[in-house]
Amino acid sequence: MLSIFAKAEPYLFLAPALAILLVFLIFPLFWNMYISLHNVSFITVLRGWEYVGWTNFFDLFKDPNFHTSLKVSLLFVGGSVALQFGMGMLMSVLLNQKVRASGVLRAIFIIPWTISAVIAAFSFKFIFDYNFGILNYVFHQIGLQPIGWLSDPNMVIWSLVIANMWYGTPFTMLFLTAGLLSINPTIYEAALIDGATKIRTFLHITLPLLKPFIVINLILITMWSVNFFDLQLVLTGGGPLFASTTASLYMYRQAFEFGLLSKGAATGLILISINLAIAFIYIKLLRR
Amino acid sequence: MNVNKITLSGIILVITLVFTITSGGFMIPAQAQKKQVTLTAIAAEPKERWDILFNASLQKLRERHPDMDIKLDYRVLPYDTTRTQILTAMAGRTAIDLISVDQVWLGEFAQGGFLTDLTDRAKTWGKEKDWYQINWNGGKYNGKIYGIWAWTDIRAMWYWKDLLNKAGVNPESLQTWDGYIAGAKVLNNALKDQGIQGMHLVGASHSPDMWYPYLWMLGGDILKQKNGHPTKGTYWFPEYNSTAGVKALEFLKRQVNSGIKPQVNHFWGQEFADKKFAVMLEGSWLLGTFPHEQWPNINQKIGMLPLFPVVNKGDKSATMMGGWILSVPETSQNKDLAWELLRIMVEPEVLTPMLQKEGYLPTQKPIGEGPFASTLNATIPYYKEMISMISIGHSRPNIPEYPQIANNIKQAIDEIYYGMKDPKQALNDAAAKSAKVLGW
Repeated sequence: MLSIFAKAEPYLFLAPALAILLVFLIFPLFWNMYISLHNVSFITVLRGWEYVGWTNFFDLFKDPNFHTSLKVSLLFVGGSVALQFGMGMLMSVLLNQKVRASGVLRAIFIIPWTISAVIAAFSFKFIFDYNFGILNYVFHQIGLQPIGWLSDPNMVIWSLVIANMWYGTPFTMLFLTAGLLSINPTIYEAALIDGATKIRTFLHITLPLLKPFIVINLILITMWSVNFFDLQLVLTGGGPLFASTTASLYMYRQAFEFGLLSKGAATGLILISINLAIAFIYIKLLRR
Repeated sequence: MNVNKITLSGIILVITLVFTITSGGFMIPAQAQKKQVTLTAIAAEPKERWDILFNASLQKLRERHPDMDIKLDYRVLPYDTTRTQILTAMAGRTAIDLISVDQVWLGEFAQGGFLTDLTDRAKTWGKEKDWYQINWNGGKYNGKIYGIWAWTDIRAMWYWKDLLNKAGVNPESLQTWDGYIAGAKVLNNALKDQGIQGMHLVGASHSPDMWYPYLWMLGGDILKQKNGHPTKGTYWFPEYNSTAGVKALEFLKRQVNSGIKPQVNHFWGQEFADKKFAVMLEGSWLLGTFPHEQWPNINQKIGMLPLFPVVNKGDKSATMMGGWILSVPETSQNKDLAWELLRIMVEPEVLTPMLQKEGYLPTQKPIGEGPFASTLNATIPYYKEMISMISIGHSRPNIPEYPQIANNIKQAIDEIYYGMKDPKQALNDAAAKSAKVLGW
């Protein structure tokens, strides 16, 4: 009797966490799959749900706006991850040096990450405004032509990338700082004695030791960028001409603006697959 | 003997307790015996108008029901959030008693079974003749009444008199398409050093709303009824890619080609009040962006033309009517009381002070033309001119598919703005998508 209890004990301790996982992760996932296989919209949600099989997915793959949103997502995620990682790495390395008031500087640089994404988006909406924005005002003062940051279809995605870079870099900075602080300083001392330059030290000691942190950071910021839609929703609503409609915003609009809940669910499942694929690729890279 | 005394005391105690419990205890104030009712409401911003309306109506409702302790719990949300919140609340069967419904949401909400059919109640009420027909019909879907259109707004042309004077542009010349384009070029040239643009052109998500007047004034329409629908027999079919639609979109293209820049961000008239634009086609709510103290003399600096530019002088113009419908959700637990509150809210004595303060237009003849008209006329600048536009006002379709159709039209407009397609191609492509959305 006691041995049965002893065997079951670990699972009993896991039960609350598993229950939360089941309620907030597993069930919604399967419910989402169920919705995606039926015709569910705001009009039919209280009436019968007709089973339609893979129709929602086929409609999705045939929708040119969905193709556009995937391309936009690629640009947005690629740009955001590259800039967030690059800036975050640079800031964490610089602040890890013997810099005066590095603690204060770290605290200041974290501020963007502490504010809500919607507030950040509204702030950038004013910064980027063609008529009212500070950027175009400065351009005007120095004799440059104003830029349609949010109105030019070719420019708008890069405006979003800039805003996302500002918003997301602090996390990378913090994460990599934690990684840098975990590196034994005697390794650097040994390298210094052996005559390694700062750049060689960075390339051959810091980066390899930081690899697990880098991979996890990249996984997280990539997934967050894939899923992020607050910025696009507030800044541009996805326009002009879908030029800033990422796949996540496309999903939101299908579900909540057009009321096509099942199409939104299908898009959500596609996004989950993309995220899983990204995580798989990164983990493969980590193992190398 | 002692046992008998104890028993007797116990019996008396029990009887007293029973009496106390069944009668409700000691002397209870009459108010505590009132039935407690809390009505809930969701409404769209701005908040001030709802504060005025709900406070006044609730007071009257309480006076009519002294036997009830009625409370009102209302939430005021941004426009997009209002629709989403209402939809998710309805889908989740959350009990809500009153909601503000944009006219374009009505079909979707009614089709989804979210709204109470008010047809019989409205018939008993007997106020249909008090409403302007277009506004009364705006609360109907499939022949049934699901809401009462409480107030409306129109879009007109507003201009800064001093800026037009400075540029040497006669406001009357802006009444025609050619004059509007010519005026835009002159204004842009004259004001560019001040960082002011001549004309405002909507490039935000509601750009179709500002295009529809041109479509309507040319005799076109957004949708028409057509036979042969695969499942519904007769249903709506896109009409906006007609000759009228193409011509209307060509005018937008002319505006862009003349140097007018589509504005992606929209600040609902604030950009005009801040003198970023000399001329702006905007809703009547624009007046609310100016402090009320300035209203008596505002016509000295701000001019208003009650029209959208027309092809030839003397042609009949058109405008788009918006505003808000009040409805009782199907999930309401207090339908009768909610309906009564709604009726009170639209009583002229209750509604007029709010319209006066906020600058909205009435949907009822007693307010628009009757005894309350003079109050509004004396307070709201250009009131008579705005009222005159109701006769040329059109409303958008309230069918469930409208949001997607509006999105298709917006895409066509954007394709013109950015020179990606010609108007005919853009509208035909959009109409093809809309037809698919409508099930053709």
